[in-house]
Amino acid sequence: MEAMRNGLTGQGRSGEDQAFVRMSNLSKVYPNGTVALNDVNLDISEGEFISFVGPSGCGKSTIFKLITGLSGHTSGELSILGLTPKEARKANNTSFVFQDHTLLPWSTVIDNVMLPLSLRGDSRKESRKEAERVLEMVGLRDYTKALPRMLSGGMKMRVSIARALVSKPKLLLMDEPFAALDEITRQSLQDELLSIWQQDRSMTVLFVTHNVFEAVFLSSRVAVMTPRPGKISNIVPIDVPYPRGEDYRTTARFSELVGAVSKSLNH
Amino acid sequence: MGKSMASAGVIAAEHAAPRKRFLSKAWRTRLIGAVPPAAAFILFVGLWEIIGRQFDIPVFLLPKPSDILNAAIENWDGLLGALLTTASETVVGFLLSVVIGVGAAIVLASSKLVERSVYPYAIVLQTIPIIAIAPIIVIWFGAGTNAIVFITFLIGFFPMLSNTLIGLNSTDHNMKNLFFLYNATPLQTMWRLRLPAALPYIIAGLKISATLSVIGAIVGEYMAGLGGANGGLGYAITVAATRLKTPYLFACGLSASILGIGFFLLVNQLSKWLLSSWHESELAKEN
Ligand SMILES: Nc1ncnc2c1ncn2[C@@H]1O[C@H](COP(=O)(O)OP(=O)(O)O)[C@@H](O)[C@H]1O
Ligand SMILES: [Mg+2]
Repeated sequence: MEAMRNGLTGQGRSGEDQAFVRMSNLSKVYPNGTVALNDVNLDISEGEFISFVGPSGCGKSTIFKLITGLSGHTSGELSILGLTPKEARKANNTSFVFQDHTLLPWSTVIDNVMLPLSLRGDSRKESRKEAERVLEMVGLRDYTKALPRMLSGGMKMRVSIARALVSKPKLLLMDEPFAALDEITRQSLQDELLSIWQQDRSMTVLFVTHNVFEAVFLSSRVAVMTPRPGKISNIVPIDVPYPRGEDYRTTARFSELVGAVSKSLNH
Repeated sequence: MGKSMASAGVIAAEHAAPRKRFLSKAWRTRLIGAVPPAAAFILFVGLWEIIGRQFDIPVFLLPKPSDILNAAIENWDGLLGALLTTASETVVGFLLSVVIGVGAAIVLASSKLVERSVYPYAIVLQTIPIIAIAPIIVIWFGAGTNAIVFITFLIGFFPMLSNTLIGLNSTDHNMKNLFFLYNATPLQTMWRLRLPAALPYIIAGLKISATLSVIGAIVGEYMAGLGGANGGLGYAITVAATRLKTPYLFACGLSASILGIGFFLLVNQLSKWLLSSWHESELAKEN
């Protein structure tokens, strides 16, 4: 078990000072006085799939807002590959998936997927090729011309994921992406996301969820958060090697880990 | 025109049943739906005619439908000319209010500072009755087409401006974040997100302005109309009123309503077409 764990995280661990995302004593107080995050310390290494689990209001989305520069932190430090959030955003290697699919209703599936590329001025021909590639990955190659309203909730989320993948990001932030989906769709999207990610594991994924099963299935580490004030109360390493398949859900180790995460959630 | 509408109603009533094989269900429903209003119309016009004849009401007070029809036929060339003049002033004024209204809204929405400093005055301007400033417009532009088009534009402008502005400012928060995160420039956010998202609001403004611009053109003609062949309906109405040519006055008034309805239906159709390919709201209504 120990060997597995080292194999899993060894790459990132070797360069401790080369953390991909580094949060030290990170705090966020909103202007209205809400302490959303208090003294958060976390190093995320390259190629990790880390989940943030916790009840709503514990500051999960706030962490993302700080990383993306949508909102500034009030104290402490936050760096992404040594860059400030703003610099990191300008470097164009971060992508996002929200709970809401945020597709443009008046644009076709392919135009929606091409959006990040066309906003940065890539050629249409090249962007189209990339968009078709990622749509193939999420199984929607036949829906390029469809409008979002013609798609089911699960398909919209697939398009949203394709849009995030199209720019070949180094960092992928996902804020409760599957929360609005039914359990069956949710599981198949988890399977797909995992199979895409574990092909080369070149992407670092930060994944917010309040579903413990989802977190244990996908992640290499689970950060458990508690509210008021928001902080990381525990980090549970998920020492099961990739590639993981569907059958991982039925293993005893899976249940054990779910139990461990749930237990630290209730503390 | 009363006659043609009446006969259309009769045709609908007589042929709706036997011709059902040749008509689609939707058209049959439409024709059957047209029967009650057509019947009411015939009844109304008929009663009007009968009462006019029975009580010998003077024509200059209340002309009978037949008098109005005769007046329209007698002055057909003048009426048609006036209608076309008013229609073209309406269209030009309307297009100006759409282009300038949307353009001004884009400028205002591009900068919170500009919006906050200018918009209050736009609201104040909007409350000034056009009638009150029409003489100034005539002084500036001189009586005639320019002044009329300007008055038409002015009346249609504010609904376009305020509707578009509300639309541009109500873009979904998450969508705006998305564009921000992907480093979209303000111009990209405007053209690719805010403006398309504002389309339903713009369309609502379009419909209001379409109705108002017909009124604007006629009011403009009252105030600034030049006589002669290019007088327009508003001018024809004032002339007919001063000469007590009441049947012709009625004919002009009816033509103005037909112009208004026709223009509204045209814009309405255009809106439907625009929205259907763009937005969920319109589609949801249809099914
Ligand atoms: N813009 C804001 N202004 C004030 N308080 C906020 C704002 N956004 C979030 N909060 C508060 O900060 C806390 C954490 O919110 P959030 O990060 O959204 O939690 P989570 O995503 O875990 O549900 C909550 O108490 C929330 O009410
Ligand atoms: Mg949240």
